[in-house]
Amino acid sequence: MTMIDDFNFLEKNNFKLLPYALAKTEDEAVKHAKKIGYPVVLKVVSPEISHKTDVGGVIVGIKNKMALSAAYREIMENTKGKKVEGILVQKKARKGIELIIGGKKDEQFGHTIVLGLGGIYVEVFRDISARICPISKEDVKEMVLELKSHPILLGLRGKKAIHMKTLERLVVNVCRFMQKEDISEIDLNPVVFNEKGCDIVDVRFKRSEK
Amino acid sequence: MREQVKNLRYIFKPRSVAIIGASGTPTKVGAVVLKNLIEGNFDGKVYPINPKYESLAGVKCYPSVLAVRKDIDCAIIATPAEAVPQILDDCGKKGIRGVVVLSGGFSEVGNVELENKLKEVADRYKIAVIGPNCLGILNPYERVDSIFLPMYKLKRPRPGGISFVTQSGATGTCVVDLAAQFGVGVSKFISYGNGTVINEIDLLEFLEKDRKTDEILLYLEGTKDGKRLLKTMKRVNKKKPIVVLKAGKGEKAAKAAFSHTGNLAGNYLSYDAAFRQSKVVVADSLDELFEFVKIFNQALPKGKRIGVVTNGGGLGVLTTDVIEDKKLELAEFSDETKKTLRKILPHYANADNPLDVIADAGSELYKKSLDVIKAAPEVDIIVVIVLFQAPAIDERILNILVNLSDEKKRPVVVIAVGGEYTEGHRKILEGYGVPTYSSPSDAIKAVKKLVDYAHAIKIRGV
Repeated sequence: MTMIDDFNFLEKNNFKLLPYALAKTEDEAVKHAKKIGYPVVLKVVSPEISHKTDVGGVIVGIKNKMALSAAYREIMENTKGKKVEGILVQKKARKGIELIIGGKKDEQFGHTIVLGLGGIYVEVFRDISARICPISKEDVKEMVLELKSHPILLGLRGKKAIHMKTLERLVVNVCRFMQKEDISEIDLNPVVFNEKGCDIVDVRFKRSEK
Repeated sequence: MREQVKNLRYIFKPRSVAIIGASGTPTKVGAVVLKNLIEGNFDGKVYPINPKYESLAGVKCYPSVLAVRKDIDCAIIATPAEAVPQILDDCGKKGIRGVVVLSGGFSEVGNVELENKLKEVADRYKIAVIGPNCLGILNPYERVDSIFLPMYKLKRPRPGGISFVTQSGATGTCVVDLAAQFGVGVSKFISYGNGTVINEIDLLEFLEKDRKTDEILLYLEGTKDGKRLLKTMKRVNKKKPIVVLKAGKGEKAAKAAFSHTGNLAGNYLSYDAAFRQSKVVVADSLDELFEFVKIFNQALPKGKRIGVVTNGGGLGVLTTDVIEDKKLELAEFSDETKKTLRKILPHYANADNPLDVIADAGSELYKKSLDVIKAAPEVDIIVVIVLFQAPAIDERILNILVNLSDEKKRPVVVIAVGGEYTEGHRKILEGYGVPTYSSPSDAIKAVKKLVDYAHAIKIRGV
């Protein structure tokens, strides 16, 4: 399974992803970017690379055709020697608050979901709240209030609150997805929220071993 | 409830008890249990079982339960582990429906096969088995006591409304001892050990229906069925508050728990999630377990507005700090409340919250002030700080506080900070079921748990 298969599978399961397309050549990438609309992000798609950023396989904030061509070549250069299936062209995510929504299958409790403050300091702050699946929207409301950073999500100093209904729907859907497809681990990280909705920037998941 | 769980009633309220492995050597478990039952004034018949003795402690001894003519409700087994399955089979043949296996040497030391054998026999005869590898049970109402620790070393608590379920015998020992020390009334104490036949979930189900149990303390190292635990906690906690202490939170602790009771201490995050979802009250230490449980005999508060009465200004301020820190509220006294208070207070005292009745206030002024506060609709919870060290305070204050707490209209909490003299008074109040604390932070932390519980129960519906 590659990223594209995963993305297709997620869309079938009611996850709304940022517009994306897979390019096999530079020309294709240009075409896709035009259709999706700048700014875009390029990400390498390879079964041999799991941490794309670490190897220079991700370039963000591409604003025009020229930058796109340069970025495409740079990624190909950075990932030379690896099996590359193509380059993912993805719409750049909105600005907002980065959250992480994850889940795992626990030996004692079964599927468990975690909501937390995302971003680069996620490990430091460990500002997370967990529940056992299945959950209701009411549970998500409580999870939000359990986060130390909840005042930021609910709107601080004139900033608008994030779109709570979208968050509730998304978290409940992750639970449903995990249970239905018997997912052993899943990470939606980050998901960027603002007052209008959210963009799922990256998703990784693993099915339970039979 | 499955039949085996129902059969627990034979363990908690037996008309007759056999002690298998009873002994004449005073330090042996079988000797201590026999002595405790007899000296603890258990009402029913006691049958010591051991082929080596004719009689023990002045009671006729039998070679096997099968040699006893009359019916036996409950057996306590204190023999080497290897003999247990066969003995249990004898119990089954005899028609004994409740058995406590104190013996260790099963899955906790890797002897899984022997434990499976025990379970197979218990299931075949539908025997409710507590243990193996446990401390036993205690029912102060019926004076049933299978705890194998001598009474002079381990005090037994008085009868009351709190039931305690523990995986660990050692923790159980401390809790029983402390409950007796603090005057906390206990309904049932159950150390369930390996939980082979009856586990913590079965016990929650049993206690849910137990008329003498109002609150449940649960000490947990791990569970084998998280989903069922969550479901059961959710249901039971609505009727009877569950205060839970989970041990084995980190990786290292989890390993220790494994070798200890042969159970897996799961990932704490999942437990935390399950506790939050079921709205049980989480304690982080043994101290908290007691501090929290004692407040739950009070009425559930309608809100989080606290009225404080004190004869020491400083303690009022300290209490206010914790109230704010815990996101609770200091009640805003209405004009009417203030007016009534001014009529009874000396002219130099302010009718504000915290209400400082001043150090020279006697018990009478406390009574009058509390009468006003308890009638004030703007107060959800009453916190009474008593500086027992003050000269004008006498024994009458105890009566006033006990009566106020007994009204059960809104929660009443007492804070009494101090040494030996104060502690004596604290204990008396505790004995009468008034939640009494030795510091403002302990008291308000407990109030916070009660408020959160009441809130959760209200919005989730009973």
